[in-house]
Amino acid sequence: MSEVTAHHDLEHGAHHDDHHESSWLTTYIFSQDHKMIAKQFLVTGIFWAFIGGLLSLFFRLQLAWPNETFPILESLLGSWAEGGKLSNEFYYALVTMHGTILVFFVLTAGLSGTFANFLIPLQIGARDMASPLMNMLSYWFFFAASVVLFLSFFIQTGPASGGWTAYPPLNGMRDIAINKGSGLGFDMWIGSMTLFIVGSTLGSLNYVATVINMRTKGMSFTKMPLVIWALMFTAVLGILAFPALLAACGLLEFDRLLGTSFYLNNIVINGDLQAYKGGSPLIFQHLFWFLGHPEVYIIIFPAMGIVSEVLSVHAKKPVFGYKAMILSLGAILVIGFFVWAHHMFVTGMSPTIGKVFVIFTLLIAIPSAIKVFNWITTIWRGNLRFTPPMMFAIGFVSLFISGGITGIHLGNSTIDIQLHDSYFVVGHFHIVMGVAAFFGMWAGVYQWFPKMFGRFMNPTLGYIHFWGSIIGGYMVFFPMHFMAGVPRRYYAFDQFQSFNNFTDVNVFMTLAAFLVFAAQIVFLINFFYSMFKGKEMTEDNLNPWGANTLEWTTSVHPGHGNWEGDLPEVHRWPYDYSTNGKEINPQNMPLGEGEEAH
Amino acid sequence: MGTTILALLAVVLFFTIIFFVAKASELSSIGKDANEEMESTSNLQGKLLFAFLILGLGAVAWSFFELGPRMLPQAASEHGVLIDDMFNITTVVAMLVFVLTHIALLSFAYMYRYRRDKQAYFFPHSNKLEMIWTVIPAIVLTFLVFRGISAWNQIFDFEKLEGNTEVLKFEATAKQFGWILRYPGPDGEFGNRIIDSEHINQMNELGIDWEDKNSHDDFFADEIVLVKGKPTIVKLGAQDVLHGFYLPHFRVKMDCVPGMPTQFMFTPAYTTQEYQALLSTKKYWQQINPETGNPKWQDFTFELACTELCGKSHFAMQKVVRVVTQEEYDKWVIEKNRSYYYSVINPDASPELVEVAPVELVVDSLLEVVDSTLMEVVAAH
Ligand code: HEM
Ligand SMILES: [Cu+2]
Ligand SMILES: [Cu+2]
Repeated sequence: MSEVTAHHDLEHGAHHDDHHESSWLTTYIFSQDHKMIAKQFLVTGIFWAFIGGLLSLFFRLQLAWPNETFPILESLLGSWAEGGKLSNEFYYALVTMHGTILVFFVLTAGLSGTFANFLIPLQIGARDMASPLMNMLSYWFFFAASVVLFLSFFIQTGPASGGWTAYPPLNGMRDIAINKGSGLGFDMWIGSMTLFIVGSTLGSLNYVATVINMRTKGMSFTKMPLVIWALMFTAVLGILAFPALLAACGLLEFDRLLGTSFYLNNIVINGDLQAYKGGSPLIFQHLFWFLGHPEVYIIIFPAMGIVSEVLSVHAKKPVFGYKAMILSLGAILVIGFFVWAHHMFVTGMSPTIGKVFVIFTLLIAIPSAIKVFNWITTIWRGNLRFTPPMMFAIGFVSLFISGGITGIHLGNSTIDIQLHDSYFVVGHFHIVMGVAAFFGMWAGVYQWFPKMFGRFMNPTLGYIHFWGSIIGGYMVFFPMHFMAGVPRRYYAFDQFQSFNNFTDVNVFMTLAAFLVFAAQIVFLINFFYSMFKGKEMTEDNLNPWGANTLEWTTSVHPGHGNWEGDLPEVHRWPYDYSTNGKEINPQNMPLGEGEEAH
Repeated sequence: MGTTILALLAVVLFFTIIFFVAKASELSSIGKDANEEMESTSNLQGKLLFAFLILGLGAVAWSFFELGPRMLPQAASEHGVLIDDMFNITTVVAMLVFVLTHIALLSFAYMYRYRRDKQAYFFPHSNKLEMIWTVIPAIVLTFLVFRGISAWNQIFDFEKLEGNTEVLKFEATAKQFGWILRYPGPDGEFGNRIIDSEHINQMNELGIDWEDKNSHDDFFADEIVLVKGKPTIVKLGAQDVLHGFYLPHFRVKMDCVPGMPTQFMFTPAYTTQEYQALLSTKKYWQQINPETGNPKWQDFTFELACTELCGKSHFAMQKVVRVVTQEEYDKWVIEKNRSYYYSVINPDASPELVEVAPVELVVDSLLEVVDSTLMEVVAAH
């Protein structure tokens, strides 16, 4: 197995730069260099993360102080916050856009777009992606999707407001009397998602093709860094899952524009029976979650991969259970396609089918648990360098545990009767997916920033960013578990005495949200300042973290083609840390005499 | 305006100071030995992580005491106890995992923080360990799945009520933004609904077939009234978009889907009064509600809420739920005494014209009320 050498002669690509006129436009904008495309994804992702985070502050204000007015809101949002109070219609628009932006634009495109692009060629020893052109197009489709979504904020009826899950019939009828955001705003949402899916598919196909075909000599599958495994599996998930959403959205738009009834049946509006006949809203839910659940793994896999890498590099210790890590990712990938209806236990789906999904859902907790135990064992008896990426990686493990255990509650349909669509779910997925995936992303940014920009980020600001985020993140989302009986997606709680016991907790969570946001400002300052003015990386310190992987064998500012001379050859797996009498044994270092490959 | 600018300036100043302090520390480390630098940083961060463990666990424990009492009180329905038990067992398991893994993670972080003179231990895998932590979760999860599914089977076992005439039925149809609550009246049978544009109109949103005599004693309510100990089936539907029928205290939740009927079955375990009495023993519920001046438990009511995003007023679809004794219920039904059919659809018809049971039943239950009052009077002597 380890002798497999899917080696391709790519020497023709070695001096890529020489063949092309490289203008400013082709270097920075319409670049086909995977490293530049990665940075484009990253910066666009950061832009969206900022917007998405800002939106959450607006609606957290409403949740904390439902009866106060904030004149500044009116000056910022105009008629959406007349008199300084967010309108309920716009509250729902904000929540919807917040979810869409963070799930898709930040944690899907921003996360795997950045790291799949950046790391795959550099770590497998390839000059670029299998198809650099497709790769560029994948970014530009994402960019176009971003433009459409962004513009939808500025139309008169406002952006989509029927939830990031886009359930019909609320989003299934093009009637602003039913829901203001279900007019043009939702058409734009669909348009944006369509572009997004095209972009994501182009990218994913490329990632898989690259990993399979373009590994350098000696880089067998079992010598691949875990992050590459994770990114490849992410791409497979995307290729298989996103088409379901595209189909779902297509049919939804037929219902909206052409009057078909895929998702609609016997709708009565103000005593007026509509012509829709024979469809079912549940079909949409099935299609949506057929993407939607794998989507959560699309988000978390890259983070898991990054964390495996970072923990091992900074512990100077091999990832514990390399093969188990790959197998558990694979198991999650497969089982992840058979759990979607755990989002639908009480939507009217047959209770008998529900049971099947309980079994698969709790089954998936086993590979998740294996990963956690393996990470913990990875740091056990390591020599842990607490650099900023390492802090975020440890934070990730903590968050993944805290958010994962509540999945055990939710996956058990009996308990989910009470918990479905409550704040408990909000707490669960924000910790396990939202905050944890962000931690993975930041770990990656701090880790590979020097490779991306040839400069270092400021570590002190990194620590402030870390502590603000983890303390604030827990303060926002941990208390939500106690609101297990309180429905989510509520503009205010004062209509119910049952849900009105958490007023001061809501204030607390909002203040914590501001803390988290402030920590992100620190990150932004650090990121953009260091990009231009940070401490420079020098030729005599090309491997600042002491990592074994190939990306650190390139020069400070690798050109298009990555390695100036020949491609590096791989002789060992990436986790030969603290063995062989040395702390690091880079992958391209030939085996010593009598030494056996791992 | 002035204060806004001031506040903005303060914020900018705040970040500027942080920035310069951080930058200064970076500059001051130039020229120092990198390993020594890493050792002192790792020492500090490792200790902070350990402090985070201790303070974090403390905060979690504290939150159970502080926030726990604000959670919904115990289940007010029979099956709700199954759900709560499941929740509690799972929480115990989850907290155990949470605490143990965090202790391991963060104390390892502390114990193995970087030292110049140390080397990490090369430990790439161990089949035995990995076996252990595959099998243990598998066993625990199997246990949870079995318990969960057996409770689920009981909760959705609609057959157990078949042929049971003592079942209370009502119908809840959701629409933007409210509930249409229909009771079958004394005959216990709902009138038919016909979904066509002939039957459905603004006067008859549900499309009730007034030809169907079963409909004549059906009545609409604007609160849900239930009977303690009486198995109840709620028939659910929606007019326009998805809604969710949620009775928080009864652990009842089921979506209302346009064009697809759904249902849920439950049995209230306490009357509202009994439940209030139960709450009155709890510290949290003895606090005074500042709005009314009463202790919280006194103002308590069961409620119905919507749990599926249905538009701009999703958060305001509230109805009161009352659980009463059978006698009180019968009295309520009679007091209601305004079947929609006789009061609105066909006011000229007189109830006597209907051959079916309603009138008899009404009389019956009236007699029962009288009976039981008499019994009480007798007993009192
Ligand atoms: C231990 C493994 C996990 C289990 C058993 C689990 C189970 C569940 C279940 C049953 C729900 C539906 C709850 C409801 O709506 O009533 C849910 C919601 C959710 N989970 Fe998980 N989960 C797990 C891990 C994850 C991970 C790793 C992620 C993401 C990285 C994630 C993200 C989400 C999201 C985004 C939702 C909410 C979607 C929405 O309704 O808007 N979960 N989870
Ligand atoms: Cu899921
Ligand atoms: Cu609703």
